[in-house]
Amino acid sequence: MLELNLLWTALVAYVVSGSTAIISVVLDRRPQRMILVLLVVGLALHSASIAVRWDRLGHGPYVTMFEILSSNVWSLLLAFALAYWRIRAIRASAAVVMPIMFVMMGWLLVSSPGEGHLPPTYHTIWLFIHIGFGKVFLGAVLVAVGIAGVILLRHCGVGVKRLAGLPADERLDDLACRFMSLGLVFETLMLVAGAIWAQDAWGRYWAWDPLETWAFITWLTLAFSLHARLAFRLRPHHGAALIILVFVLAFLTFFGVPFVSTAPHKGAV
Amino acid sequence: MIASPSVGRLARLAGASGGANRWLERLASLKLTAYLIAVLGAGVLMAYLSETRTTWSLVVPLALIALNLGAAVATNGVFRRNLPLLVFHLALIAVIALVALGRLTYLKGQIELAEGEEFAGDLVSHDAGPLHWWRLDRIHLVNHGFSIDYAAGVKRGPTRNEVGYAVDDGRPQRTVIGDNEPLVLLGYRFYTSFNKGFAPAFLWHAKQGEALFGTVHLPAYPIHEYRQARDWTLPGTSTTVWTQLQFDEVILDPDKPSSFRLPRHYKLVVRVGEMRAELQPGESIELPDGRLEYRGLGSWMGYTVFSDWTTPWLLAAAALAAVSLALHFWNKFSSRPWNPEHAADA
Ligand code: HEM
Repeated sequence: MLELNLLWTALVAYVVSGSTAIISVVLDRRPQRMILVLLVVGLALHSASIAVRWDRLGHGPYVTMFEILSSNVWSLLLAFALAYWRIRAIRASAAVVMPIMFVMMGWLLVSSPGEGHLPPTYHTIWLFIHIGFGKVFLGAVLVAVGIAGVILLRHCGVGVKRLAGLPADERLDDLACRFMSLGLVFETLMLVAGAIWAQDAWGRYWAWDPLETWAFITWLTLAFSLHARLAFRLRPHHGAALIILVFVLAFLTFFGVPFVSTAPHKGAV
Repeated sequence: MIASPSVGRLARLAGASGGANRWLERLASLKLTAYLIAVLGAGVLMAYLSETRTTWSLVVPLALIALNLGAAVATNGVFRRNLPLLVFHLALIAVIALVALGRLTYLKGQIELAEGEEFAGDLVSHDAGPLHWWRLDRIHLVNHGFSIDYAAGVKRGPTRNEVGYAVDDGRPQRTVIGDNEPLVLLGYRFYTSFNKGFAPAFLWHAKQGEALFGTVHLPAYPIHEYRQARDWTLPGTSTTVWTQLQFDEVILDPDKPSSFRLPRHYKLVVRVGEMRAELQPGESIELPDGRLEYRGLGSWMGYTVFSDWTTPWLLAAAALAAVSLALHFWNKFSSRPWNPEHAADA
């Protein structure tokens, strides 16, 4: 099937790009242009695959786990590719980000590409707004995670020489904080859009269902990390640890909760 | 900044006595904020995981956060220098206050209406804030029937339900609602739900008094496909009637697309004590207190009714929070590069 062939080819491009990025940090080489080109090629093929499937099924990639993973691999790599392209100083953070993406790609490979049923509550513009905000949020946090990973690796004495070319920890900390701030704005928007949708779809804007609860806890953790940074003048590696915590919570909320819970947030009855 | 004169005066007023001032400043501590946010997180988890209603674990930290923030707004110069940051935090307080007001005045209930039935103000179940002003009695709502298509695998498609409505003695009107489109009357939002099913209709001719018409809402279909029976009590008596709908035809086909409809061939079984009867429309059974006549089969629809006047204000406050937060970060980050030594790089 064209759609899956495109997807598998895109994944190969991502994996070669990511592996090259990791090896280039380990061996202290700099084939950065090739890494970026491969990422862009992967994104182009992946976009084509998503478009073909969208056209075939008549709905976007947001119903089955396969679709949700695929579209998030796409949006997260798009966010990271943009950061990689624009902020040269942190390109080595690809060695932190790409292994995370490999895990998601592995999960995507083992999930079933069969089609799901579009719940009746999905016929609304709020679907796109809610999901779009969520994607920007997670993308911003992923870029911050790459930077935080560099800070933590250096703090633990891993690859210090290889990562010495990056700016000082304080500078990286500042940059990561900017991405987390962007994340907070978009997570706030995501929650607001989700509440509007929930009001329309289920007659309540908030009901503490598992997904809502975990998304709110993620939001609080993000607010906590920004406040703690100011209130306690956190050292960069402490700030970095909080970033990882926010990412783990966000990741579990996005991909873990819908998996283990059969609560109404799925919308299909 | 707009707020500075009055806020400044407030801080000075608070400073009139040194002790009170110190107290206020301590209450305004940014460290306390971080702890309180953590406590709120723990409170959310506690309410989420506990079996019983644990509202206090949310209310207490939220109230403390509001105090902490109020004190900070009064004493912390950051808020006077930074209008977007001030607006953001005030909007957060507004959200907390509105949610609290909403909890005091909301209504959320369930309604069931058979086809052709008018809503008479009866809620099957409901949850309401202590200050909810009941105005449901001014609303006339009639269910004119619905259609729902199902995809293969009995996957529900959009619900389209025609309803008639009027407020007080207003002109009756008709519209179609379903899924994301509620009917909004006097601030009450009526939504169709996935709860719906079959409703046999009866006329009860009591020996004394007028004949009464009523419908029996059998358990929701297709969720309770194999449990299409229930007990009900004849009005004005203590007689219990067990009513069952039996049919063999496949209505919602798991293998192909289909639509919700009434069964074409069915048996309606009625049991009162030892007596058992199968009734066709127009047939009746004689009982000690009167005659029960079966009129025919229809459908019923379950509705959710929701009322909370705060929702538009909540949306406005939340949107204001998001916009002012974005503005704050924009001002903060655009004022200096993250990596001054390589500014060109960023
Ligand atoms: C859960 C609710 C809260 C959220 C989400 C929140 C969020 C934020 C954010 C995003 C900033 C900007 C941080 C930055 O510039 O890097 C901030 C700053 C600040 N917040 Fe909050 N806040 C909350 C509650 C509070 C409370 C209760 C207080 C009361 C003390 C407070 C006091 C402050 C102060 C004083 C600043 C400015 C710090 C500075 O720029 O030096 N916040 N808050």
